[in-house]
Amino acid sequence: MQQSYIRYISAAIFLVSTTIGCTKKEYKIPTPKDVLQNDCIKRTQGPNIVGQTIEFAYAMAILPEKGKLTNAKVEATIDGAAGTWMENNSYYTNNTGVDVGISVGSTSVTTKNVTTVTFNKDTNAATLRYYYVIPDQARGQSVSFTFSAESSDGETVSYKMGPYTIANMDMKKGINLTDGGLMYISIADMAAYNATDAAAKAGSIDLVYLYRNITTSAFNFALVSPAADPQYLPGVTLPTGVNRSTYERKVFNLQDYNLAQMQYGIYIDDPDFQQLNMTNDPNYAINLKQEAGVWVETADHKYRAYVYFNTASTTTKNAVIGIKRYTL
Amino acid sequence: MKRIIISTLIILSVLSCKKDHPVDGDGLLITPRQECYVSNFELLGADYVTVLTKQPVIDTTAQTVSVIVQFGTDLKNLFPQFTLATDCKLDPKIVGKVDFSDLANPKEYNVISGNRQISKTYKVLITVQPR
Repeated sequence: MQQSYIRYISAAIFLVSTTIGCTKKEYKIPTPKDVLQNDCIKRTQGPNIVGQTIEFAYAMAILPEKGKLTNAKVEATIDGAAGTWMENNSYYTNNTGVDVGISVGSTSVTTKNVTTVTFNKDTNAATLRYYYVIPDQARGQSVSFTFSAESSDGETVSYKMGPYTIANMDMKKGINLTDGGLMYISIADMAAYNATDAAAKAGSIDLVYLYRNITTSAFNFALVSPAADPQYLPGVTLPTGVNRSTYERKVFNLQDYNLAQMQYGIYIDDPDFQQLNMTNDPNYAINLKQEAGVWVETADHKYRAYVYFNTASTTTKNAVIGIKRYTL
Repeated sequence: MKRIIISTLIILSVLSCKKDHPVDGDGLLITPRQECYVSNFELLGADYVTVLTKQPVIDTTAQTVSVIVQFGTDLKNLFPQFTLATDCKLDPKIVGKVDFSDLANPKEYNVISGNRQISKTYKVLITVQPR
């Protein structure tokens, strides 16, 4: 008796599951919403650094039979620096993978914290790019953005992005160094000076750049504190008053994306500087080369920095460096 | 029948509790091996790149590891790496940067054999390459 029950129940489960399993759902093209819609993505990655740009792509669309787009607007919580703008081109990607821009509106107008593009073509779908140049007053703060669009039928729609924390650190790229010329580096100024200018700014010179091709040891490119043992400054006569001692730590394989612009997705951010403890580090770094870096802390403990060698030429003895600097 | 099953279970559980593989205080296997020596040595700088100018000289009789490091090496912040004979262990353990700057008093490391019966103290002798 019990066995026959089990048999009936099993057969019923089998029939039900096969019936459900065979149901075919026909694919239907989704019906677009008949209201004005929008979406947004942030295109830039990594830390948000003063003077750099945060880029967004803002998309908006409305059904053609309902109307057309009239304007797009972005409101930032902190006024963008000079150069903040929104593109008046909408892009599509052609067959060869190239983004092609088509003008859909007038040049953007930025008034304080609001940037607007007014559409002047019959457009019912567009993606506009917005470039926010991070101002100095945003340093260490958070900034948010409200993107909005308006259509000819009076509809409005908006999209909030952020908040994004703006880093405390500064960045400077493309600092040229020449052995015997621009070889005195100031972290405070994020600049390199020659001997005459270094003498005038003796109190702020933290590093001396030099290149030596010594056959008995690997010296190569070096960043040495003025106060380091003279054996690390062969052939260098320091300008009067240049005598600071800077903590240094050599690093290899730390190609920060902002500084190196290479394929490595590594970003140095504020916490990296905050967690650095350099009390036991030397005041020189020799045997450096292209793509090497040096963590630095100034003698007055006012700045920590990361100095990255973009290029270093043994023939010209020149180098190009970039600096990320954090004020303690 | 029941008695036989119970007795078998008891015997099996007693057997399973028996330790065939003794381990030391670090949870490492104690083996019958008596070999006790350093077979290779490496020294990395703060940038995790070797600072050695050539292969180390390991004297298993004098129990020394002699190395020459590059000119300008920051001796206070080095990462030593020992390769030991099978089943040996090192004391003290290396857990981070080591300060080798006191060249007059070379760092000493004990190599302990697999059977934990033999211990040999190796000195790391560092010479800095001249400029």
